[in-house]
Amino acid sequence: MSHTVLVCDDAIFMRTMISDILAQAGFEVVGEAETGSQAVEKYRQLKPDLVTMDIVMPDMGGIDAVREIVKHDPDAKILMCSAMGQQALVVEAIQAGAKDFVVKPFQPSRVLEAVQRVLG
Amino acid sequence: MDLSQYAELFLAESREHLSACNQLLLEWERSPANLAPVGGLFRAVHTVKGMAATMGYARVTDLAHRAENLLDLLRRGGRTANDELLQLLFRARDALEQAVELSVVGREEEIDVAEVVADLDDAAAQLGRAGEAGGGIGARPTPVPAATPAIETAVAAGRLVQVTLRAEAPLKGGRALLVIKKAQAVGPVHAVTPPESAFEADEFDGRFSFRIGGATGAADIERAVRAAGDVEHVTVGGEERRALPAPGAPPAAAPETKSRHIRVELGRLDSLMDLIGELVTVRGRLNELAASARDPAIDDVAIQVSRLSRELQDEIIQARMTPVWQVFDRFPRLVRDLARELGKQVAFRVEGKEIELDRAILDELGDPLLHLLRNAVDHGVESPADRRRRGKKPEGEIVLAAVRERASVAISVRDDGRGIDRKQILERAKRDGVVDPHAEALTDDQLLRVLARPGFSTADAVTSVSGRGVGIDVAVTRIRALGGSIDIRSEEGKGTTFVLRLPVTLAIVRALIAGVGAERYALPLTYVAETVEFGVQATTIVEGREAIVLRDRVVPLVHLRRLLGVSGDAPTRCPIIVLEMGERRSGIVVDGMLGQQEIVVKGFDAPHGTLPVFSGATIMGDGVPTLILDAGGLL
Repeated sequence: MSHTVLVCDDAIFMRTMISDILAQAGFEVVGEAETGSQAVEKYRQLKPDLVTMDIVMPDMGGIDAVREIVKHDPDAKILMCSAMGQQALVVEAIQAGAKDFVVKPFQPSRVLEAVQRVLG
Repeated sequence: MDLSQYAELFLAESREHLSACNQLLLEWERSPANLAPVGGLFRAVHTVKGMAATMGYARVTDLAHRAENLLDLLRRGGRTANDELLQLLFRARDALEQAVELSVVGREEEIDVAEVVADLDDAAAQLGRAGEAGGGIGARPTPVPAATPAIETAVAAGRLVQVTLRAEAPLKGGRALLVIKKAQAVGPVHAVTPPESAFEADEFDGRFSFRIGGATGAADIERAVRAAGDVEHVTVGGEERRALPAPGAPPAAAPETKSRHIRVELGRLDSLMDLIGELVTVRGRLNELAASARDPAIDDVAIQVSRLSRELQDEIIQARMTPVWQVFDRFPRLVRDLARELGKQVAFRVEGKEIELDRAILDELGDPLLHLLRNAVDHGVESPADRRRRGKKPEGEIVLAAVRERASVAISVRDDGRGIDRKQILERAKRDGVVDPHAEALTDDQLLRVLARPGFSTADAVTSVSGRGVGIDVAVTRIRALGGSIDIRSEEGKGTTFVLRLPVTLAIVRALIAGVGAERYALPLTYVAETVEFGVQATTIVEGREAIVLRDRVVPLVHLRRLLGVSGDAPTRCPIIVLEMGERRSGIVVDGMLGQQEIVVKGFDAPHGTLPVFSGATIMGDGVPTLILDAGGLL
């Protein structure tokens, strides 16, 4: 059975691209979220095997969403999607419980490596 | 990876974010102490940066990055907006927009943003310095305390682990922290050097060491460390291990996924609409055949085909509907810039942004509305001093509003300015022979007719903004071509309102088919209020025109037979189709009513000299072309 994924990013562009990369590698994207609070809500509903989480999102940011999700499911496998220059934020996200991170611009091979590490 | 397939999505989404930037900057300008818009700006620019980096648009990425830096400082520093800062951010937004547009069409090398980049960096540097000197502004948030105290106080023993991350690894601090986390899973970690707080700094070079306790073997420690990714070298307990090759190929490609939205090229929707149009025409023919065949089986099929094609048509029309904000959203910025340029104070408000129109109509609306808004700022709203003299508040008001009315949408542009000087226009109209030389006043309708004459201008001085005599005539022509109408209301000293009325959709409309002589004409139902019978209703003469009185309202009559020059006598009792467009009404007298039907509107270039009462043509079910009457022209 393929792994299920929840993709969280406020840009459709990014969601589409991440979904495409993961789908082509055989993952099943079961949901998308545009804000941190949506991500928390959908995680509860969908119980995905993996979450990709943008750091900067409106309403509730990615790091707060990680905290919320991990509070309810300490085993949640969350992959942060960050941009160059967000060192401090990535460190904060990992301390909050994120399992790994990838840096934009995305290279499909690097995204998939990170996903394997998180799920492995 | 082929990125070109994402270019359109990138463009569409970047435009949305940049449009949002305009709204946010305007919001910040209105209430400079409220910092909420700055957070939004930061997020929008950040998103554009991430997308541009992914597309490989280096210049857009760089520009966005510098703008983001400044916004980040502003956001953290809690600075109130000032004029200079806002102007810089507006400029940066515009430069970013231009850079995005050029990049997408492969003209990235034409992007010239050196000046705005330098200004952004200057501003950021100034803010940064202010932050160091005064504290607060530009300060980084307090780092979250790292590592658990238990580890810090553990006995200093265990193997020394030295790690070097790959030189090309991004955000090495984050990666190093992941290494520590992985190591913690196999044994207690302490003596992290440099300390974890250094991982948050951009200067961290990816070399660090720690001690790990417990009984875990060197091989397992190394495996745990490497599992964090991007590890170049690991030395455990003095024994160095070489980097392993990168993990194998990703799992094989497989099935497609679900998605709830796709973006479709507009051209596709247009050709779909054309095809449905043809289907509607054929459906008409089938219905006529079925009616003459009198075969219940054929009737049955005809009814089903009708139902299915109508559902198909509704779906496709719905798919073409677009909220007006897609055009309206660029106006607040435009009005602001104009007002600044002209030294006016204007509060601009937009209402009914969510009202939907067919994409094809909406695309045509931008220019006419632009003309009307320019006029409102330039000629409508007075200067602040002028307004004070007249006892008005110095800030003028302009409202752009969309409202749904039956099968049409009314869009109004209203200002509370000086209104149109009717005397001046009357003189001009008399000179040009547009009105009776003895006329003493202009009605709103006459006023519009005069204003809409090509080349008409009332401006005392031609400004760079408007008053070149283009504008209202362009707007009127465009709107009429879309099957719509323009109304004007103007009161001296109080302001002017233009109301544009447009059909919700263009391509397929329901129409009344009326007969005059041997010809048939189609009249779109959009503006048909009702039909009454001529010869039953008493007619009267009002202001020299034949009219009927319907529920206390005067409805002037137009005899289509006379208007079109059809010879012969009209039947004694014939129908009157009452048209209504805003405040205006008119009764069209025809020979007979031949029913209602969906018609497919085809564009129509009327030959010179044709009466301005046709807006297009259609093909009827029997294959005979039929002219479509223009309600706007008949009123």
